[in-house]
Amino acid sequence: MITDETKAELREIAARYPQPRSGLLPMLHLVQSAEGRVTAEGIEACAEILGITAAEVSGVATFYTMYKRRPMGDYHVGVCTNTLCAVMGGDVIFERLKEHLGVGNDETTEDGKITLEHVECNAACDYAPVVMVNWEFMDNQTPESATRLVDDLRAGSEVRSTRGPRICTWREAERVLAGFDDGLADEGPAAGPATLVGLEIARENGWKAPEGGQQ
Amino acid sequence: MTVTPSKAGSNAPAPQDLVTLTIDGIETSVPKGTLVIRAAEQIGVQIPRFCDHPLLAPVGACRQCLVEVAMPGPDGELRTMMGPPGRVKPQASCTLPVAEGMQVKTQLTSPIADKAQQGVMEQLLINHPLDCPVCDKGGECPLQNQAMTNGRGESRFQEVKRTFPKPINISAQVLLDRERCVLCARCTRFSEQVAGDPFIALVERGALQQVGIYEKEPYRSNFSGNVIQICPVGALTSADYRFRARPFDLVSTPSVAEHDSGGAAIRVDHRRGKVVRRLAWNDPEVNEEWITDKDRFAFHYANRPDRLTHPQVRDGETGELRPASWPEAFAVAARGLRAAGRVGVLTGGRLTREDAYGYAKFARVALGTNDIDFRSRPASAEEEQFLASRVAGRGLGVTYTDLERANAVVLLGLEPEEEAGTLFLRLRKAYRAGGTRIFAVAPFTSNGLRKLGATVVKAAPGEEVPAIEQLAHDGELALDGGGVILVGERLATVPGALSAVAVLASQTGARLAWVPRRAGDRGALDAGCLGSVLPGGRPLADAGARVDVGAVWGSTVPTVPGRDTDGILAAAAAGELGGLVVAGVDLDDLADPTAARAAVASAGFVVSLELRASAVTEHADVVFPVAPVAEKPGSFVSWEGRVRPFEKVLEGSNAVPDVRVLAGIADELGTPLGFQTIEAAAAELDEFASWDGERAADPTVAASPAAPAPAGSHRLATWKTMIGDGPMQDGDPAYHASGPTPTVLVSAATLESLGAAVGDQVELSTDTGTAVLAVGVADLADDVVWAPTSSGGVNLGRDLGAGAGSAVRLSLVPAAAPAVQEAM
Repeated sequence: MITDETKAELREIAARYPQPRSGLLPMLHLVQSAEGRVTAEGIEACAEILGITAAEVSGVATFYTMYKRRPMGDYHVGVCTNTLCAVMGGDVIFERLKEHLGVGNDETTEDGKITLEHVECNAACDYAPVVMVNWEFMDNQTPESATRLVDDLRAGSEVRSTRGPRICTWREAERVLAGFDDGLADEGPAAGPATLVGLEIARENGWKAPEGGQQ
Repeated sequence: MTVTPSKAGSNAPAPQDLVTLTIDGIETSVPKGTLVIRAAEQIGVQIPRFCDHPLLAPVGACRQCLVEVAMPGPDGELRTMMGPPGRVKPQASCTLPVAEGMQVKTQLTSPIADKAQQGVMEQLLINHPLDCPVCDKGGECPLQNQAMTNGRGESRFQEVKRTFPKPINISAQVLLDRERCVLCARCTRFSEQVAGDPFIALVERGALQQVGIYEKEPYRSNFSGNVIQICPVGALTSADYRFRARPFDLVSTPSVAEHDSGGAAIRVDHRRGKVVRRLAWNDPEVNEEWITDKDRFAFHYANRPDRLTHPQVRDGETGELRPASWPEAFAVAARGLRAAGRVGVLTGGRLTREDAYGYAKFARVALGTNDIDFRSRPASAEEEQFLASRVAGRGLGVTYTDLERANAVVLLGLEPEEEAGTLFLRLRKAYRAGGTRIFAVAPFTSNGLRKLGATVVKAAPGEEVPAIEQLAHDGELALDGGGVILVGERLATVPGALSAVAVLASQTGARLAWVPRRAGDRGALDAGCLGSVLPGGRPLADAGARVDVGAVWGSTVPTVPGRDTDGILAAAAAGELGGLVVAGVDLDDLADPTAARAAVASAGFVVSLELRASAVTEHADVVFPVAPVAEKPGSFVSWEGRVRPFEKVLEGSNAVPDVRVLAGIADELGTPLGFQTIEAAAAELDEFASWDGERAADPTVAASPAAPAPAGSHRLATWKTMIGDGPMQDGDPAYHASGPTPTVLVSAATLESLGAAVGDQVELSTDTGTAVLAVGVADLADDVVWAPTSSGGVNLGRDLGAGAGSAVRLSLVPAAAPAVQEAM
């Protein structure tokens, strides 16, 4: 059910852009926050507000994998299975979690707590293998730490990203993606030691980028 | 007076910046901005392609048109465009504009381009079912053809192909076989860019990417059939034509569409004496490569079971129609008409120019009357004068191309998307190109006007005159700076409106064109099927004009001014006219269908020339079957004044045109027409050089303020939707199902006061009758409602006795109580 309040917020998003249609991506995140997925009602609301057809909204909503058409669990657990994470243990983590949770890819546990998905690279190869919970980083995971993680999430105990921030619910995270700040953006560091190690080595050795590269 | 930079002065093409490049070793110069694929076409090199279409914006979706390109560097040396180190990166020639000194090598001269194209083709064919033997497109398929010319003979793909459930309906008419699709996006781009109905989109991603609709919203568009034609594979097919024929079994004939005044070029494909499909033909000056769904799908009317096949006369004893020989029917018709004394002629709007000329001459020469009128719709004397002064016999006036060059186009009494689809598409093109601003005087902002970006000057039905008068002073519109006024036939029902239009055109110098709904209207007017107008736009009142015409005809022209349609019918009912000659007139189209039926029923002697049984043939004393357009040659005159000739499609048909029937009757009357064939009629009509004498003066009818709707009722605004009821749209259920749900539009406040929600059923009523339609909301004035004139079995004139401006009442139909079910 898209409430009048949500509709007002959808309009607020559309109004952020010179071309209202540019607001469609965050609007769909807001729909997910309100509905737990992209619903038909949500698609129609976006179409009506933007003055485009539902087919056009549907084209966008079905293209991007972050838009979900089936009801999501409270927590979205994404295991990176791209090359580096996969060889560093991502594949094993994903297999272990499937077995532990009793669900397949893109499926939700019966208690409605966790939706498991293998995800593409999240640009954190320096902390591989990486697991994402509602798009917060859980770095340097092992099969054991990952099962502990999902157990904690299901038990409702407080979980923090390995980089600091508290883990909120998926719907709350979707609201942030819609551009409604929850004030937690600055929790945790921007770059950790593993991120910066290459830079340190370059400094120690006095390495520089070759001249005449990209301007 | 507002002065706006005139575009009219810049009509001559500016000296173009030419760019010189080399394609396959041949040097060529093309205008700056030309795409490489087009430049190659101009030197006769065909680069294979799927997504590329000259009338759609480039997209580079299919990658089939890869070519090898080298560009001169800053040092002047040619450098081939490279990909990863050491590898040439072939470029998509459909998105690449030409550049000075560019060197292009296509598949003809570059093994790299050839291999790249073969690779793309192999990829496209991986999931393609290769079911050509059972596919509608097989035999005329760009994928099939180009796989032969630019693909590998054998596929290396051994695995299982991706399949989808097939086919799915994206509308009642258009079917989609997703596994055949190569994702070129021609259909989605057409629907968005050209028609403005983006109800189809590419959905899903990766291997599952497909064309789709939103689950609750079918692809409803007056132009949906075009996507079938431009689909370069067999993914989109029509329910009507699917599995009906193989292209190589069809005989194709170029023709002209008979459903509106657009004059669209079509191609008619027939097999075994029956038309099986119609396609858009390419006429850049007129319809480009697009036609309406009505032009494409509404052709089954000619093969309905009630098609007349032989002459009939009413038996004196039984009072029933009985078959008769042609000579007998001619004799009976002539005898009856002679006995009737004074006779009126109603020709309707479906006639070709040549047939119309036959009636115009038949009325004057054989019947000795000017009682002839082609307008089978609400009309007025003011309109007749307007047509005589401004339209009749004027030749080619405002053209489609002129619309693209105009600074502003104003639409009066005209809803192009529904009433002139070809015109709508060109207006939308002009609007999208950014140079032409569109204005409309209309009761609300219709979807069609929205798609034209139109500025709507709201006017309730009957209140158009002040709005039109104001347009002269509209600085934003600035008609005096190269504007065009397009007037629809509906303005005839508003007293003073056409007088105001004439003044507006004179005041501003804007060019003026009259856009009737029917294909035959302009031709009939030019041929003289109007009481005060003789062939070639000659005014009846002018003695010189009468002499002119009399000289060609070899007889004198009657001088008594003619009655109009309503006048003719009233005179027939009153016995002032003893007989009627009626061509293809649907009485339900007239201002008062009930009175018209009564008049035809009570008329002394009625001769009907018809294609199929109708309300007129029911009461006729003699009925002649005449040929539909596919079974005779002829021409229509488009709203531009452009003569659009066409050939006979079904050569085997021996159905006769109206002209032949009229000649037969005239011979029996002892006043021969002087021609019996279309060709001879055309030749005689062409003898009328354009009229350079005096024209009728512009009408000067004063506006009469519209009466406000009585308390509790609303004023009716109405026009016909393109897909609606009418004998010429019969016979294709999928076509009708793809049309809009007949809906009454009301203002938001009215909707609320009714206690109704959008989609509920409401009853529209007058003292004459009632009709139940769905309700929708639009930006109408609170005391105005809009409803389609004739859709979904409801004809407002026939069922409610209502037309534009009539007072109607509205009430909510209570939803049926779901629990109560009557016992069977």
